[in-house]
Amino acid sequence: MNHNIVIIGGGIAGMEAAKALLALGHTPILIESKPYLGGHVAKWHKLFPDMSSATELVEKLRKDITAANIFLSTDVISMNRLASGWTLKLSNGIVINASAILVSTGFKLFEASKKEEYGYGVYENVITNSDLEAWFNGESDWRIPQNPKTIGFVHCVGSRDLKACNGQCSKVCCATAIKQAIEIKERFPFAKVYCFYMDLRLFGKKYEDFYVNAQRDYGVQFIRGRVSEVGETIDHRLQVKAEDTLSGKPLKLQLDMLVLMAGIVNNPSIRSISAMSGLETDSDGFLRSSDNEYGVVESGQPGIYFAGACTGPKTVPETVAEARSAALQIHSYIKKLA
Amino acid sequence: MIERFPEGFHPFVIPFLAGMAFVLVVCLAKAAVVFFQLDAGSRRRYLVSLIIPNVIIKNVIDIILDCLLHVKLWKRNRMLGFMHSSIAFGWFMIILLGHIQVLLYFPNRLNTFYYPIFFDYFIEGGNDTLVSKLMDVFLYVILAGIALAIIKRFYSKLFGMKRTARPTLFNMIGLYSLWAIFPLRLLAELCARSGNTDPTLWWAYSIALCTFMCVLPFSRYLHIPAEMLLVTMRNAHIEVTRPGKGMAKVQTDSCPNCGVCIDACPMNADPANLKDSTVYYTRQLRRNNRERIDHIADKCMLCGKCTSVCQVGVDGPKLRILARATRKYNIGADFTTVENLPVLPDAQGKVLYFSGCMTQLTPLIGRSIESVLKKAQVEYEWLDRDGGLCCGRPLHTAGRLKEAQELIHRNEELILSSGATTLLVSCPICYREFKEKYVLPGVNVVHYADYFTQLIENGRLVLKEKSDICYVYHDPCELGRGCGMYETPRKLIAQTAGIAEAPANRAGSICCGGSLGSLSLDFTHREKITRASLENLYQSRADAIATACPLCLATFSRYSDRPVKDLAQIIDEQTKTNNIRQ
Repeated sequence: MNHNIVIIGGGIAGMEAAKALLALGHTPILIESKPYLGGHVAKWHKLFPDMSSATELVEKLRKDITAANIFLSTDVISMNRLASGWTLKLSNGIVINASAILVSTGFKLFEASKKEEYGYGVYENVITNSDLEAWFNGESDWRIPQNPKTIGFVHCVGSRDLKACNGQCSKVCCATAIKQAIEIKERFPFAKVYCFYMDLRLFGKKYEDFYVNAQRDYGVQFIRGRVSEVGETIDHRLQVKAEDTLSGKPLKLQLDMLVLMAGIVNNPSIRSISAMSGLETDSDGFLRSSDNEYGVVESGQPGIYFAGACTGPKTVPETVAEARSAALQIHSYIKKLA
Repeated sequence: MIERFPEGFHPFVIPFLAGMAFVLVVCLAKAAVVFFQLDAGSRRRYLVSLIIPNVIIKNVIDIILDCLLHVKLWKRNRMLGFMHSSIAFGWFMIILLGHIQVLLYFPNRLNTFYYPIFFDYFIEGGNDTLVSKLMDVFLYVILAGIALAIIKRFYSKLFGMKRTARPTLFNMIGLYSLWAIFPLRLLAELCARSGNTDPTLWWAYSIALCTFMCVLPFSRYLHIPAEMLLVTMRNAHIEVTRPGKGMAKVQTDSCPNCGVCIDACPMNADPANLKDSTVYYTRQLRRNNRERIDHIADKCMLCGKCTSVCQVGVDGPKLRILARATRKYNIGADFTTVENLPVLPDAQGKVLYFSGCMTQLTPLIGRSIESVLKKAQVEYEWLDRDGGLCCGRPLHTAGRLKEAQELIHRNEELILSSGATTLLVSCPICYREFKEKYVLPGVNVVHYADYFTQLIENGRLVLKEKSDICYVYHDPCELGRGCGMYETPRKLIAQTAGIAEAPANRAGSICCGGSLGSLSLDFTHREKITRASLENLYQSRADAIATACPLCLATFSRYSDRPVKDLAQIIDEQTKTNNIRQ
């Protein structure tokens, strides 16, 4: 077979699709703008709900796709439509004639400093979920105190928040917060951990058990109410103002550390891709699938497919399933061409 | 010059006299009602003002400039100014000269009232005098104005107006009768001067006058007498206090429906909001349409831009707050937590800094203020560092005046008991409330832009090399139109960095869309306003946006494609630390 298949984005969606395409007898070309594969998951510590290692998953996938052509630190700088297929020009000068393209550009984390009232970048002990994962993975972080006694997690930072220009639910942060709260309790067993949530959306398999575990076995305290603002006391402790909407009372808490669950927003790189290829974006800024029930991985354009969080927030198992589904569709598309 | 008819009467004067009597009775009755709606103090103040020579002179000058010459409209657009002043001033001069003419040549006919109006019918050979020639000139001036008015109905853009107010039925009748009066007068006079005494044209002229005067109280033309009352009441410092009564009523009736406020309203970023500008609000107030009044009153962001462009000075925001204040709430404000406030630091002789709720949500501003104060070695205390009381403005603008007053009293006590002599404010929303509603004897309420300027002038703050960033300054509504501070922030920026101007600036600045003033605008509508406001700022081609309001900062930061900073942050970045012992 001499049909080129290009995968744009080497996160777990792109890697899993490459693996499936290799198994189907193709040799996909995987393009990743970062110098490493695995995307966000490569930087994550553990995955919910089974607490398996994220880095191990990425490592396993990386070994499975060594037969693919992989370009790291490479961007697509132009895409031109041909009579059949596309011509792609890469930032390393290579030009590819592709019969099929898989867009798996993933997502970006919401910039927590945009919610200035939560004090990220203002107060010392405010970090984000991704900062915490990096610390779990062994990176040092001066913002995390030696022995914190009270720790807070703020859910939905930049999710379901029109003020932050993000109306959609990021889907994974509820379970991520629970996971991180458990992990932090394991590191600091005597710390009090509070989660401030507006809704807990624990829809996936075993997520509910996970939530019960966090409360029963780890003593994580869940407070229903959004944090209105974070301030600093005179002795430089964080002071969180929120409303406990279950008791209907305003609440002030002093904390040693606050973790903001930055939400999932669309990856700005899809703007250039959609401009070059004529793909449409949805009202939430993510790529628009041909339909949201039956055709999530289809773009509506012949030969272009989607996988993973480029079409909206996804969990790891959803992303993997979409990658496999897209690989199978590309396979049958190529077969029809040949 | 001789009288044509010894009896000096013809039945065609009856419509004119009837219309005149009607309009006089109605207007005097309306004025009396308004007068008695004022509280006793205002009533006395008003009457006294009418006999103080200075005020009398000011009243006369203001009426001539505002009601006859329309000076404010001239400043806005010359075509618009000429159109209005030619009709108003021209008509006034014709009436005045007409009376002078009768007074000079037939003083015994002055008591008929209609002689000056129908002079050429009753008098033969009266058109050689200077007065008559002058009157002819003014008539042609009016006709030119009417020609422009007709053009304006079709090409309002020529007059600097994208949109004009939709006329009501009475406005249409008034308009067409007004347009008819002067050509009819001209034709009738020309006929009479050629010796033709056929009264048909005079009948038409008189009926046009009668029609105009009969619809006047029910149309926008009520603004003609109302505005004169408004000017005198304003010069007597009568305040808008009661919804739909007194000064509020006069302001409502003074709205000429010119529609200048439609283009000014920031909500016009979405055409769906066009029906909610001040011109339609005053219309609904006159109709007493509760549903629409509530809808418009709640939606408005109280940015005050309509008032800044209004030629008669209708206070759109205030009229809306009054409507909100009439609402009944089932839940009162709960001030029980007020008692548990943190203990106030002793600020005897020091500067007391009040950051306000919005600055708590934008902590970088508070940090910058503190940093600058430390650099200048100012002794200060932060009143609400650990959270404090609201200044009261959100409650005040929501129409909950009693609740706001409670907060104000409590804050006054706190500030006065601290012993501070200077109250430093970083939020223009608070600043306006402090300036307008607080009574703080011995305390100087100052915005940080003024305060930092003083520190720089006194040499307590030393500026660094100018930064090469070019800022465009966005005037926050509450600081600019609200408190009249336009130049100080600009001077500060110009001292520390580059500065550019947006096309709509100063009093014409477009609200950021984040205003606390609106009770019902949702985010999708607000986003459109914010984007329109940003587009205006982008036109300056500046690298970054500077503002001096935490709410503008937070709102712009959401959608801006370039950095947005508060003035306090810029000053903090651009001042030296090394000259000061820490």
